[in-house]
Amino acid sequence: MGDMTRVTIDFDTSHLIFPTLIAIILGLLGLAIVLRDHARLAEAGVHWHRTWQHMDKPRFLGVLGLTLLYFTMMVPVGEIWPNTGMGFLLCSIPYVMAAGLLFMHARAPRQVLPLLIVALVGPTFVWWLFTYPLFLTLP
Amino acid sequence: MKFTRRTLLAAASAAALLAAPLAAEAQNLPRNMRMVIGSTSTGGDTYQNSAIVAEALSEKLGINIKVDAVGATEAFKAVGRDKRGTTIMMFHDQSFLGNLYGVSGYDDPFANYAVGPTVAINPGNAYLVPADSPYQTMDDIFAAAESGTRVRVAIQPGGVSEIGFTAMKNAAKLRAPGSEENIVAVNTGSQSDKNQAMWDDLADVINGSIQANEQFTQLDPSDQKAMRFVWITARPETLEQAPEAGMGNTTRDDLLSYASPKTHVPLNESEDFTFDKEFFFLFNKDMDPAIIDAIDAALTEVFDEGKIQERQKESFFIPDFLPTAEAREHLTKKRDTYRKVIDDISAGS
Amino acid sequence: MFEFISPLFVSLVLGGTLVGIIFGAIPGMTATMAVAVCLPLTYSLGLENGLALLLGLYVGGISGGLVPAILLGIPGTPSSITTTFDGYPMAQRGEGEKALRIGIVASLVGGLISLLVLDLFAPTLADFAIKFSYVEKFLIILFALTVMAALSSDMLLGIFSGVLGIFISLIGTYDISDGGNGELRLVPPGTEYWLESGFSLLPVLIGLFGLAAILEQAEIGVPRGHSASEVKVGKHSRFSFGVFRGQGVNLVRSSLIGTFIGILPGVGGSAASIISYTNAKTFSKTPERFGKGEPGGIIASESGNNGLTGGALVPLLSLGIPGDSTTALLIGAFTLQGVQVGPLFIGNNPGTWDAMIFAMLIANIAMFAMMYFAIRYFAMVVTIPKHILFPVILMMCVIGAYTINYGIMFDVWTLLIFGVLGWLFTKLRLEVAPFIIGFILGPSAEIYFVKSLESFGDVTIFFTKSWIAVVLWLLIVGSVAGAVLMSKKKQRIAEEPV
Repeated sequence: MGDMTRVTIDFDTSHLIFPTLIAIILGLLGLAIVLRDHARLAEAGVHWHRTWQHMDKPRFLGVLGLTLLYFTMMVPVGEIWPNTGMGFLLCSIPYVMAAGLLFMHARAPRQVLPLLIVALVGPTFVWWLFTYPLFLTLP
Repeated sequence: MKFTRRTLLAAASAAALLAAPLAAEAQNLPRNMRMVIGSTSTGGDTYQNSAIVAEALSEKLGINIKVDAVGATEAFKAVGRDKRGTTIMMFHDQSFLGNLYGVSGYDDPFANYAVGPTVAINPGNAYLVPADSPYQTMDDIFAAAESGTRVRVAIQPGGVSEIGFTAMKNAAKLRAPGSEENIVAVNTGSQSDKNQAMWDDLADVINGSIQANEQFTQLDPSDQKAMRFVWITARPETLEQAPEAGMGNTTRDDLLSYASPKTHVPLNESEDFTFDKEFFFLFNKDMDPAIIDAIDAALTEVFDEGKIQERQKESFFIPDFLPTAEAREHLTKKRDTYRKVIDDISAGS
Repeated sequence: MFEFISPLFVSLVLGGTLVGIIFGAIPGMTATMAVAVCLPLTYSLGLENGLALLLGLYVGGISGGLVPAILLGIPGTPSSITTTFDGYPMAQRGEGEKALRIGIVASLVGGLISLLVLDLFAPTLADFAIKFSYVEKFLIILFALTVMAALSSDMLLGIFSGVLGIFISLIGTYDISDGGNGELRLVPPGTEYWLESGFSLLPVLIGLFGLAAILEQAEIGVPRGHSASEVKVGKHSRFSFGVFRGQGVNLVRSSLIGTFIGILPGVGGSAASIISYTNAKTFSKTPERFGKGEPGGIIASESGNNGLTGGALVPLLSLGIPGDSTTALLIGAFTLQGVQVGPLFIGNNPGTWDAMIFAMLIANIAMFAMMYFAIRYFAMVVTIPKHILFPVILMMCVIGAYTINYGIMFDVWTLLIFGVLGWLFTKLRLEVAPFIIGFILGPSAEIYFVKSLESFGDVTIFFTKSWIAVVLWLLIVGSVAGAVLMSKKKQRIAEEPV
């Protein structure tokens, strides 16, 4: 009995013990789910098709695309003026503006104006706050 | 002090901000620098030392320097990417020890980066035993290893915390070849883990520091948490510059009694092993050398003025300024010494 | 003895608390960040005044997190995750104001109880805390993990999500500074450059809770109207202290659990509210209401995380060891002033000790006063049109992700990755709450599990180490049994013909 429970851990490979254990548990749970829900899993294609059909594609894909563009541009723009946070400031203003317009339903001037103000003032204030009082690095 | 630096510099640089690339070109010095450090803690010694140096340097140069605690891996990446010299790095011996011990994420700093001036030493690296330990001195520990007793030493592997342990093995080997096998590592993490390893009786000796462990040495020996210093790795000439009052209730003379030459951990037949944790700059290797020269010159002036030394000593750092050329020579030599010890020990085991 | 009290001292506590609340209330900014940012200021302030500022920030930062957790369903700080479980459903039914008041009162009680414990028992408790070796710490984490089962609406999928969270938290290096060997694992070839340090908690958290929620809204076309609900906040049910009737035990127990988790170095802040929540649910007479807007859930979570504040100072001041990431920064404030923290600290520095207790007391009261009376203004956030609110939240998420580790762009990408994952989760019927709990606790579970075996070399050690281990096992078994019974009961109700 005493010998059965004994384990020796080799420090050099100890980084693999826990991940292996968790992977096994995860695999077993996954298997249990497949066994239980196989009927539902078989219909996954239909489910995704329906999701895709009901999706507000311009807004969903639009915001994903905008965010991708925003993240991609931030660093290169920031590199022009290193360590000043300009990358954040110059990318956030158009991003907030564009995302706001995308989410908006009736784009009447009376509604766009408050958004424009927020898009200009918001990032600028945050940029000022982080650069001066808080003294933190922005891209 | 920091407050004035923040606000004044912020105000001053606000105007120059958009013109930054132009001004920088004219002076060959970026207006806004980022100092990344090899630690993720803004409460630790690396951050503190970096903040002191960054403050003095930015005042002297009239530029803005932000200290960012991004950690070793990210700091090396950030400096490696930035050839313009707007990102500089501050770290300590871990930068080359990590490489010598083969830790992932550590390249050879001498080959892949430009090593810059040294600025300070943290003299605190120490080894401790429980107050009721049978080991009074390092000699007792080596004798025990020689007689076949296993001595377990709690360290954080892969760097500054391990180098003293490697030196112990090396010393045991010098004394009685083969006895180094009886000095074994207990691999732990933070200082709290190392202390806990001692209290759980998983370790006979732990790595610690003067700053973090001194109060435990002042506890009543019957307290389960009580400890004793057995070895302080600093060079005697480093410790002699520490404040005379030492740390807490331990005077400088007390501290010196745990360090070479009074406490022996031989490196070879003629010398003792010593280790000082030195903080130094690391730069991108393709960066304009003029920037490094400017930093060297500014630091020389700062250290000549003498104010920074007082500030460093207040935080238990030992001032240790060597300009780039000297620092490189000194650190290369230091690295080579430790490389030999590490190679000898790992080849033997 | 109270010579440290000056107008400056008091105004620093008040100012710190206010700034802390603001940091806590903005998703992506945390108490830790507030303290880190203000730490350098303390050099010129002197020790007592500096601590006054930092402790105010600490108490305020931990408390402020409940505001977005309740109103937007986005935890302001990791320790307010469990507040979203019941707070957000309440806000959705129009009880946002009530939920906020419950949370604030619970925070105050948690803070005061832990402060009392700190003041009276600090050194004794520290001696008790060091009896917790790797084994007991692992069992505590395991106990916290059992909440995954209790939180899931579908037990199998919920536990799968939780284990997936643990799995993903292990990506990267086995961290040397925690005692690992620094080797990479679970990193796909070619991604080492980015994944070396794995995914950071905060970007994952705000991605899953913040970005994912906005993506879901975008998917359905961002319906017009106001965010949390169409209903005016607080219109439906008014808050009265009667809510706390029958919650006294929960309140005190959660505060003490929070305090105790704080005392254990390394177990981590988020575990405090998670364990309080598990306990409240296990011992509740109506566990089925948890997760659907049960005031008891908010009480447990908020008294738990504020209980942490006093607890985390115990090991700091009596062992020189921080109890969580924020108190780790406080050590910096002491060393900046050349003051040592360790077992002799309280005895050597009675003045500083009194000042700290006093600052915590003012901070807790100030936090309560400021938040209680500012609720109407907080609540205004849900009246902002979504097309303005969402872009601003997205921008704040980016800032939070970028600055949490002092400027790492990969953290911003992490935000996007987990935003999309969070959206996918709801499609796949995986559950976000167990996932994030697995993600938070995964790394500690690993280190304590592996180190237990490495140190003791026998799997029976988990049962035989000490009486503490036995008690912890009883709690674990009780919690699991409770969750299983609950799910059986739910099934029976579902199967019964109507």
